[in-house]
Amino acid sequence: MAFDPSLLRPLFPILSQPAYEHPLTYLDNAATTQKPLAVLDAIQNYYRTGNANVHRGAHFLSDRATNQFEHARHTLAHFLQAPEQSHIIWTKGATEAINMVAYGLEHVLAKGDEILITSLEHHANLVPWQQLAFRTGARLRVLPLTSSGEWEAEFAHYFSDRTRIFAATQISNAIGTTTPMQTMLDLAKQQGAFTLVDGAQAVAHYPVNVSELDCDFYVFSGHKMYGPTGIGVLYGKQHALEVLIPYQTGGEMVRHVSHQATEFNVLPYRLEAGTPNIEGVIGLAAACDFLSAQDRSALLAWEQSLAHHVYTRLHKEGGIELHSPENSTTLVSLSVPNVHLLDLNAYLDSQGVAVRAGSHCAHPLMAQLGVSGTLRASFACYNTLKEADRFCDVLIDAIDLLNDE
Amino acid sequence: MTNAPSLDIEHQLQACRSKEETFKTLVVLSKTLPRLSDDEKIEDNKVKGCESAVWLIIEDINDVRHIRADSDAKLMRGVLVALLSLVADKSFADIQQMDLKRELAELNLSSYLTSSRTNGVLAILAQIQRP
Repeated sequence: MAFDPSLLRPLFPILSQPAYEHPLTYLDNAATTQKPLAVLDAIQNYYRTGNANVHRGAHFLSDRATNQFEHARHTLAHFLQAPEQSHIIWTKGATEAINMVAYGLEHVLAKGDEILITSLEHHANLVPWQQLAFRTGARLRVLPLTSSGEWEAEFAHYFSDRTRIFAATQISNAIGTTTPMQTMLDLAKQQGAFTLVDGAQAVAHYPVNVSELDCDFYVFSGHKMYGPTGIGVLYGKQHALEVLIPYQTGGEMVRHVSHQATEFNVLPYRLEAGTPNIEGVIGLAAACDFLSAQDRSALLAWEQSLAHHVYTRLHKEGGIELHSPENSTTLVSLSVPNVHLLDLNAYLDSQGVAVRAGSHCAHPLMAQLGVSGTLRASFACYNTLKEADRFCDVLIDAIDLLNDE
Repeated sequence: MTNAPSLDIEHQLQACRSKEETFKTLVVLSKTLPRLSDDEKIEDNKVKGCESAVWLIIEDINDVRHIRADSDAKLMRGVLVALLSLVADKSFADIQQMDLKRELAELNLSSYLTSSRTNGVLAILAQIQRP
């Protein structure tokens, strides 16, 4: 049976409101997705029936909160196919998770060691490594990938016996490219490097299996996969997490403290200082349950068909530079010569169409593409074919209105 | 002296009943902005804080503040036409007394006045009202 997104629409009440008297057409899902009722209800139920600090007081509510909180860890471990729930570390989001690793691995780097990333990285998976390189005297190297995800040059020599860390995105947030992750991970592991996969743009679309990927670390944000903001996950293999020096210390992460010394707690608590974002954790688990209850391959096929439909229509239209690969699964990124992105964005907005215009936190990639930014329409499971067509129609109108010189 | 065109600009914008109408009016207005030369579009004249590039040249001559401006974005050029009409033929002291934020809002331009990084109208206002 063909997938019908209209069945999902009632689960996302925010989408049924008008935007300036037009139907709201939300195509900024790569920035953040909307939240299903199940997530909203889980957060509200937590505050209505279970709010207490976790792992502390032994009382009715704190037991309830702690059980729900640790059950969420179990849900996430299952969602990612991680072997142990203690390998799931709660973070604020993908950015914090990457920073935790970048600070936590500082002690394994020596001058002249290499950190390898790709040319498609979001600043979140670039700046922490660049700063780590500055602090340690390591060298940041950039594996050049084409916008379609192919190797731009002889790639094998980028992976050397000096490569200590390899960090790469699964899907480019700016242009939607899927990277050759398994090949890259194999090459990095042959050199004994620590490997980190940025799954921020992947988790909402692809089922993730960290055991099969066999990476040391996998990171993502909850809010890009139908969960709340301010919560994310750092998954790590046991030995990889144990190597990390905690970049935050304080309560919760300790076993015993004296004025002379502190004995740290075991994983996962060792890396979770302070009271965690309990409502976020519970909301994120509800988002995982929501996704797991769907036919994931049907959702992916649907999202892919929307991206492909828009790509094909705009390609035929002409006068539009498409920066996404034709097989982009999640989004379409474009620019129009002689028309300013912000002008296009403003017209789309005036028609209730929400997209993103700008550099998408990927300045080096924009430079590589030779543009100052792109206009990005990104899709989620609840988007309809009508919305994809409305985006194309309004964009074409905008170009007509603006391109008169 | 140039009151008539200013009023006309204000009326056109005030008459807009939707975001779409404001957009279209700004596109029309943008065409009336005298463009700066490439020599004038230099880093020193650039307003910091705008995602679209905006250049401002301010000169105080005979107690009148002369402001010329340009942008690479069409809509921003439309906003600049409206803004320059509000402060046309005024002295720095007069301009400093104006509540430009409110006056732009009255022209249906409030969505350009948010602190969002996508537009830097507030940065432009600050510069126009600075000695």
